[in-house]
Amino acid sequence: MSAPAFERPKPTPSRESQPYWDGLKERRLLIQHCTNCGMPRHYPRPVCPHCHSMESEFREVARGGAVHSWTVTDHPFNGFFKKAGPEIVALIDLDAGGPSGATLRVNAPLRGIAREAMAVGLRVRLVFEPVEEGLVLPAFEPE
Amino acid sequence: MTHPLRGKAAVTGIGETAYSRGTTKSGLALQMEASLAAIADAGLKPADIDGIVPYFPGGGIAEDFIANLGLPDLKLSAFVPMGGASLVAALQMATIAVSGGVCRHVLISVGRTGYSGARVSTRLQQFPQFALAAEFEAPVGVFAPAQLYAPGARRHMALYGTTPRHFAEIAVTIRRHAILNGNAVMTKELTVEEHHASRMIADPFRLFDCSLESDGGAALVVSATDAARDLRQPVVQILGMAEGHPDSPASIAQRADLLEFGLVRAAPRAYAMAGVGPADMDLAQIYDCFTFTVINQLENLGFCKPGEAGPFVMEGRIGLGGALPLNTHGGLLSQGHVVGLNHAIELVRQLRGQAGRAQVAGAEVGLVTGYGDMGDGALAIMARAA
Repeated sequence: MSAPAFERPKPTPSRESQPYWDGLKERRLLIQHCTNCGMPRHYPRPVCPHCHSMESEFREVARGGAVHSWTVTDHPFNGFFKKAGPEIVALIDLDAGGPSGATLRVNAPLRGIAREAMAVGLRVRLVFEPVEEGLVLPAFEPE
Repeated sequence: MTHPLRGKAAVTGIGETAYSRGTTKSGLALQMEASLAAIADAGLKPADIDGIVPYFPGGGIAEDFIANLGLPDLKLSAFVPMGGASLVAALQMATIAVSGGVCRHVLISVGRTGYSGARVSTRLQQFPQFALAAEFEAPVGVFAPAQLYAPGARRHMALYGTTPRHFAEIAVTIRRHAILNGNAVMTKELTVEEHHASRMIADPFRLFDCSLESDGGAALVVSATDAARDLRQPVVQILGMAEGHPDSPASIAQRADLLEFGLVRAAPRAYAMAGVGPADMDLAQIYDCFTFTVINQLENLGFCKPGEAGPFVMEGRIGLGGALPLNTHGGLLSQGHVVGLNHAIELVRQLRGQAGRAQVAGAEVGLVTGYGDMGDGALAIMARAA
């Protein structure tokens, strides 16, 4: 059933998203913000959808958040993830989006909790997982 | 004021190959076989086709149609790249072409070897719309549609109390319809218990919540309504149609409301154009890539309020003889996965009165949806011409 792929799919950063990935490597969660209107946006893109400014900067934000929803990767679809076994992968609403009303989500594995204990609103914190040379991915743990 | 596209186009021909798991034919051969069948069904000749809107990416393009069908003067070659919504949205594109005087007969078609060729997790990498998912979500193990749509289902369950029993009702009912069709991959009855016992794919989706990976081709011809009256089949007019795009269209993860698809925007436009609403539908063919996707669309289409579609599908309502028979051909869940063109074909067949053992008595008006590409939506409302 699985595609014959036994390596983790790698992100290919764009010119816009490179700072996000570089931030993870430095164990910092950097989110793009419009320097004109101040609104954050994720995933990175060249234009602010609120004010259409093309000027932006990456700011470090707090790593707390809450479960919006989740799935479990019971069927791996790819040989690499078969080795890892099923993982809970959750959509997390970052607290950093809250004040502005922006939707800032990170989609990442949630460690240290059983699927039966999962619930919308569960508090979590982002951690940095070095998964291979030159690649750090986000993950979450219960707060 | 009557919308300028209302009733201007009709579906005049429909064609399908056998649906199977395993074929020696190429996707292009399946697409051409279905296309020739649709053209013949209409009583047309290949040379009459002057526009094409094929599924893309994956499958034949204008060059292939000209080379294989000997089209003497193709006047429109277009794609509507909306994943599973592409082929219903193509009905809008075709209607614009025939009502605007560019074309007379537009062919919409798809052929795929979804079982014997590249499987779903590989195929999606061809889509430019999946670039964000590939960069941010695939590295953590989320890239197949089941995994991308599952959090929406989980959220619906958490907010509204929707249960696997509701999902099972959809799978079991649509399977029953497939058995009546005679051209379906799945031919054995499915029970609620078998659904609940099937293996988990992407929690909460079990195997029988997921559509088939299958081989097959499907096609239809959209003609100007004035041309349709001279053709072979009863005239089935397209009364209303629309496509709609959700917020954060290339990433479900970043969409504020996971349960609001492009159909929320498209449905009111299509109803206004057609001059009918959900309560007027004799039947519906709903894009069923997953059981839950049907629940979500029923709400987005206004058949019930948000959160109510779980109970809505129970007690026989969506089966033959119920108030709203759904996917009377077996859908993507049990007939075959040709990106939902089989749904449009079945609607036409029902409105012609040619649906055999699955015929809905007195079917006069119905709708078909396409859903895909992480939330794009399209619908078309069709009616038997008086």
